[in-house]
Amino acid sequence: MKTTRREILLFAGGSAVGVLMTPAPWRLITDSALWSENWPGIPRPARGAITAKYTNCALCGAGCAVRARCVAEQPVSLAGVAGHPLSHGALCAYGLAGHHLPYHPARVTGGPVEEAAAAVAAAMDRLGENEHVAVLDLRPGRTASWTYRRAMAAVKNGVYVAADGAAAGLAATNAAIDLWKARTVLSLGVPLLEGWGTPGNVMAARAGFHLIQAEAVESRTAAMADQWLRIKAGSEEALGQGILQALGGQTPVAAAEATGIAEQQFLALASELKQNGPALVVGGARSQSAAQLNEALGALGHTIVARREAPVPDGWKKAAPVVDLASVEDGSIRVLLIDESAPGAYLPWSAVEPKLVRDNPLVVTLGWTREGYGRHAQYLLPTGVYPEVADDIPPAVDSVAAAFRMAVPLVQAPEGVVKPEEWIAKAAGLEMADTLRERADAIHKAGRGTLFTYADGKSVATKDVKIGDFWKALEAGGCWMDQAGPAQRPAAVKAAAGATRQSASLADDLPLVAVLTEAPSSPLLSKIYQESNLKLGPKQVAIHPDEARAAGVEDGARALLETLAGRIGVEVRVDASVPRGAVLVASRAAVLDVCGAGVGAKVVRA
Amino acid sequence: MALGAGWVGFPYAINQRRPQPVDFSHKVHAEKAGTKCEDCHAFREDGTFAGIPTLDKCSGCHAAAMGTTAAEKNFIDQYVTPSREPQWADYARQPENVFFSHSAHVKRAGMTCESCHGPTGASDSLRPYREDRISGYSADIWKVSGTNHGMKMADCVDCHRSQRMEQSCLDCHK
Repeated sequence: MKTTRREILLFAGGSAVGVLMTPAPWRLITDSALWSENWPGIPRPARGAITAKYTNCALCGAGCAVRARCVAEQPVSLAGVAGHPLSHGALCAYGLAGHHLPYHPARVTGGPVEEAAAAVAAAMDRLGENEHVAVLDLRPGRTASWTYRRAMAAVKNGVYVAADGAAAGLAATNAAIDLWKARTVLSLGVPLLEGWGTPGNVMAARAGFHLIQAEAVESRTAAMADQWLRIKAGSEEALGQGILQALGGQTPVAAAEATGIAEQQFLALASELKQNGPALVVGGARSQSAAQLNEALGALGHTIVARREAPVPDGWKKAAPVVDLASVEDGSIRVLLIDESAPGAYLPWSAVEPKLVRDNPLVVTLGWTREGYGRHAQYLLPTGVYPEVADDIPPAVDSVAAAFRMAVPLVQAPEGVVKPEEWIAKAAGLEMADTLRERADAIHKAGRGTLFTYADGKSVATKDVKIGDFWKALEAGGCWMDQAGPAQRPAAVKAAAGATRQSASLADDLPLVAVLTEAPSSPLLSKIYQESNLKLGPKQVAIHPDEARAAGVEDGARALLETLAGRIGVEVRVDASVPRGAVLVASRAAVLDVCGAGVGAKVVRA
Repeated sequence: MALGAGWVGFPYAINQRRPQPVDFSHKVHAEKAGTKCEDCHAFREDGTFAGIPTLDKCSGCHAAAMGTTAAEKNFIDQYVTPSREPQWADYARQPENVFFSHSAHVKRAGMTCESCHGPTGASDSLRPYREDRISGYSADIWKVSGTNHGMKMADCVDCHRSQRMEQSCLDCHK
């Protein structure tokens, strides 16, 4: 039988029509769609028993208590711990999504660990007489900080540099703020109700004090304050000086002009702070006015008190002293090791770089992202992130008693990451044991304070707990709190050095004053923010329409943000809610390198 | 021929079959040992469903042979004695983006296991697991053996509609 072409075509056509009448093509379409939902790159959450684990959030200095809901040991949601004496059950948006951080797209998980160690050893060998090896610790006060101090004591010309925290204009590391005792709080542009201190503690104490927020923009703190003083951008210091004058019975004419606040209002503010005490003034770390006002208002020893440090083993006390960056001689650091694994105060590179030797300094940074000092360092070594690593969290600025709590690992760190304290100790030739355990044992030996366990919400006197149980409780996310002693004036109170290094320039060539947006962005919400423009992006600035017209830029235009410290390419957003004379910038490392709060700036067309 | 291939050949070819690790008889356990579904497929103390029992549960009764069947002997030799967990294939496994609460359906709505899983509890042996070669899902998602429904989203929605129960995306897709 001969098959004709017509018959073949008829057969093929009939088959095609016939197949369409079967489930095959439709099932293939469905299956292909399902396959595309399940391709190998998509993470698959583990299935298994549901358990609760407790830890402490290490994403900022607050160290809020965290209850993690885990499925098959994998944390799937985080929440606060009700009844906790420090964080009062609160957890911010950043903390709620903290378990997403290990999967952040900017995460660095590999680096030249051995090569960096060899480079550090070689640089230390050729160290000059007046040259230093330095550790810059962005979150001082930890057990790891003590390791760094011991390591720097063990090497030639070692220096331990602590980044200063923002505490009421005071650089004293032993100073704490007692919001519960304050009746009137004047905030000089500090985001007091937006993640400052321990958010849960601030909100719990909020009903007891009258809050006056002095700020150029209507931040969320300004919106929630009892009184918002709408001052000119960058005039916080002038406001403080004016109030000081008013407290002394003088009329602050110059301050009134600089801030845009009427002279009579200065007198009323001074009167309120004086009569409705105890009063407290909260400013940035470099705010001289805040320090002077607190001294004048008698806040020291009342609302600003000395805080003891949690006990440490006696053997650790042979350690390098704590110094701030400003006190390090310019051009003297040959080897700089930076621990930025735990988020803390970021010192702009323009302040760090002058401290390095001119010829071939070595900078090694240990962090989880390239967005910080990794942009300037020869070596970036990857570290674990919360909640992968065990690390203690020093007490927050609003914690009047010492505390010891740990961020307990909830997930395993990837292969190849280093522990900064171990790496630096090894580079310094310092032998290390389990330092967290040693510290816990020293605290237990001192016998002070109470141990709070989250799972049952109970507080037990430390002396009533066995040493093994004490460590077990801390490993299970518990918290040791020192007993608060009598309120004492902090010992080392002084206005932070470099207070006026970058004060607002009103020069004609820098007509704008920078205002930082401080609130951290959650890794969970960052995508939404980026897509919705609800928040300034890393390299975005916002200015008033009049300022945009004057600069010749439009909404969405590329431009340069210039300051005395340098310039950076930015995208301009035109926003009528930004006050004239101000430029709103995101508080991100790349921007902070050239532009701090209150500095003079200008936006020019790129 | 095309119709035959599409209706008979394709459904056969699209699924790959693999036997369960143990020839388990629900019928024997239900009739002779008097066990109920929830004795093995239990709820945890917090109300969550434990799913397929682990070896610990089986070892509680089968540390030594209770009968004379080859299947039981094989199970003890291969899994109980060496403490090796059987790698059961889950006929009803849902995609990762689906949240299903057994507790809400069994304890609150009072549904029986057979409503969704069919007469599995009366089976004398475990049928081979059939996995879609492309999507990787169990064939039971399209049609549960012994029933006239599947376990697709449309099946859930149909049942909820017929029972006049709430239905919103976030009920299942958290």
